[in-house]
Amino acid sequence: MAAIELTGVTKRYDDVTAVDGLDLTVPEGEVFGFLGPNGAGKSTTINMILDFVRPTTGDVSVLGYDAQRDSVAVRQRTGVLPEGFDIYDRLTGRKHVEFAIRSKDATDHPDEILERVGIADAADRKAGGYSKGMRQRLALGMALVGQPDLLILDEPSSGLDPAGAKEMREIVRTEADRGATVFFSSHVLGQVEAVCDRVGIMREGTLVAEDSIEGLRDAAGGEERLELTVDSASSDDLDAVRALDGVESVSGDGGTVVVSCESSVKTKVLSTLEARGVTVKDFETTEASLEDLFLSYTEGQKQEVSA
Amino acid sequence: MSWEAIARKDFEDAVRSWWLIGLTALFVLLTSGIAYFVRPPAGQTASSNDILNILSGTLVTTLIPLIALIMAYSAIVGERETGSLKLLLSLPHSRADVVFGKVLGRSAAIATPIVVGFILPALALAIGPFTFDAGSYIGYILLTALLGTVFVAIAVGFSAAVRSQQLATAGAMGLYLVFVPLWGAAQFPLQIYLQLSGGVPGWVPLTGQQLFRMIRLLNPTGSFKIVSGAFLNGELFSGGDVTLQVAAIAMLLGWLSLPPLLGLWRFEQADL
Repeated sequence: MAAIELTGVTKRYDDVTAVDGLDLTVPEGEVFGFLGPNGAGKSTTINMILDFVRPTTGDVSVLGYDAQRDSVAVRQRTGVLPEGFDIYDRLTGRKHVEFAIRSKDATDHPDEILERVGIADAADRKAGGYSKGMRQRLALGMALVGQPDLLILDEPSSGLDPAGAKEMREIVRTEADRGATVFFSSHVLGQVEAVCDRVGIMREGTLVAEDSIEGLRDAAGGEERLELTVDSASSDDLDAVRALDGVESVSGDGGTVVVSCESSVKTKVLSTLEARGVTVKDFETTEASLEDLFLSYTEGQKQEVSA
Repeated sequence: MSWEAIARKDFEDAVRSWWLIGLTALFVLLTSGIAYFVRPPAGQTASSNDILNILSGTLVTTLIPLIALIMAYSAIVGERETGSLKLLLSLPHSRADVVFGKVLGRSAAIATPIVVGFILPALALAIGPFTFDAGSYIGYILLTALLGTVFVAIAVGFSAAVRSQQLATAGAMGLYLVFVPLWGAAQFPLQIYLQLSGGVPGWVPLTGQQLFRMIRLLNPTGSFKIVSGAFLNGELFSGGDVTLQVAAIAMLLGWLSLPPLLGLWRFEQADL
């Protein structure tokens, strides 16, 4: 059974189509990164999954439930870190977690939850005095209550420093290892790359790419361009490099050699040339990164990427 | 129960607000002040019910609606605007749980100033030249709490129905003006009009007296005065105009349940 299944989902506001005919399936147990620039429709999609917002057309089902009709049942088994939320200024961190525990009929211990998200020392302070990052951690803690089968995290790293973002990723991984499905959105690829099984990229309300990180890397070419400055390289030397596994193409004009290859054979290229008596004075590599690909999806002309 | 968790959280949140603390202080001060100033002259005694009658016509029916509206007008729309509603609805609560939990939580919160506000004057009455009728005193506190709850229900219903805090603020002020000063003020010119024009127009299926009874009943503070007056005179459901008393109770229950239901109906349909 799919943890999340959207079929032909469209959400129109007065004159804006926020989400346009979206089909998306996230299998149980998967860590799914939901990417796209701000305003691409990610939060609207998440809001429809949680029944904060109702789709204009289409069906949303979560953990086998109808997202609209059985929303309470969905949220009973789901932990949510919403986007654009606020905490209760006058209540302490512990009261917040206690409220989540009571709401879910869970048996967690508030202190353990607060410990896990790293704000145990602030447990008895009013949350109104928390920093943005602490509020984010508090909401994450509330989401972890009751060992949810599904975690929905909307821009979980916003407001967190790099160390906090790393802790967030570790928690995501722990939850996934426990067997939970994790669905989280981000506008920064770097945050999801390390933890996601699969990513989907949203742009102007539609999904323009849906693949594993590996698949995306392949789509990006996954190759590097190696530019070497040498004393002299004969065509025999170039042929020897060309013969290496993982080398795509080699060109040279005596003083420079340009090699397209998988990044793993870079050192092999260098050692092969040096073994043949070629002195490498300098070299430079450029990588066709995932980030470039992501940007091409989200910033390029829409026709280009969807064609 | 889900609404119970919300009610509890909401009560804990509301009792920590400076508004509630300030309004409680004001209410205690005014009830005690009135109890002190209207005490009978030396050598005479009065019943605590007399004091309550005075409080009922003045302070309770003007200040309790105000406190209730102030405490509850932003109960839902305020959370919607700041975003804490997203945190609340991330947990397994239905929107109905939110509306009814809020009514309950804020009603409990307004019971606090009411109970505290009557304890201090009770002490003054008990030691002063009064015959202190504890039963009707406690009963009157409960009735006042009911009045507070009715206005909380109206405000929460309104708060569930609107999209913006400004609209909720304007609505709360409007409701107060309508129910407290304007309602009474409108009756006098209406009376004069009816006398000048020779009675109720033919298309209204009511006599003039019925019309005024209706107007009195429709306003929750009017219904409250009918019920509390009968209660303090010891004739609730047993003397005076019993039909009117029953109608007043029904009206209070209507105001208690209808606004939250209407608010919920709008809230259920809303995109947050």
